[in-house]
Amino acid sequence: MLVLTRKINESIKLGDDITITVVEVKGSHVRLGIDAPSGVKIYRKELYDKIKAENILSSGLSINVFDKIKDVLGDKNK
Amino acid sequence: MITFETSRFGTLEVAENKVIQFPEGLLGFPEINRYALIDYKDTPLKWLQAIDDPHIAFIVADPKLFAPDYELPIDYETKQTLEIIDDEDLAILVTVRVENEIVIANFNGPILLNASIMRGMQIVVETTTF
Repeated sequence: MLVLTRKINESIKLGDDITITVVEVKGSHVRLGIDAPSGVKIYRKELYDKIKAENILSSGLSINVFDKIKDVLGDKNK
Repeated sequence: MITFETSRFGTLEVAENKVIQFPEGLLGFPEINRYALIDYKDTPLKWLQAIDDPHIAFIVADPKLFAPDYELPIDYETKQTLEIIDDEDLAILVTVRVENEIVIANFNGPILLNASIMRGMQIVVETTTF
């Protein structure tokens, strides 16, 4: 992994189009400003990983699980 | 019509205009780009079945089934990607699973569909408010 030291208001460039700027440092928190073209998707990694993991857990469910969900929803709507 | 194999439902046949293209796939499944929505057992739930992988299918539902006041603000870029001209064409689904007997719907990663061109994408939602 490339590790760079930056001060507040200093930036790094990722390729030609993406600039990441250190906006604020407070204790263990770092605020970053990101300039990127509109098509570039920017996510906090833990959320991205969570959705990916959720998808993997959800991708191979059996018909039994479907029936269970159907029953739970059916009970709720009674 | 196209015909494909599935591990849960055997051989299925869907009209070509019912095939939903996911150019970027779903998170974790970037290479799986064609799905079909399958009604099943007269419920508000559906299966989002991968056409090119028989094993991959997601149980999906309208988020309003779980949260009647659900609203999802969609940004301009997302609408551009899906080529949404008329908001009426936009459908939102969430994947559903069960953990420890509790039904979990993934509100952080809703699946958006443009029904008029049958294109879909999954987005990442930082916060959910409804």
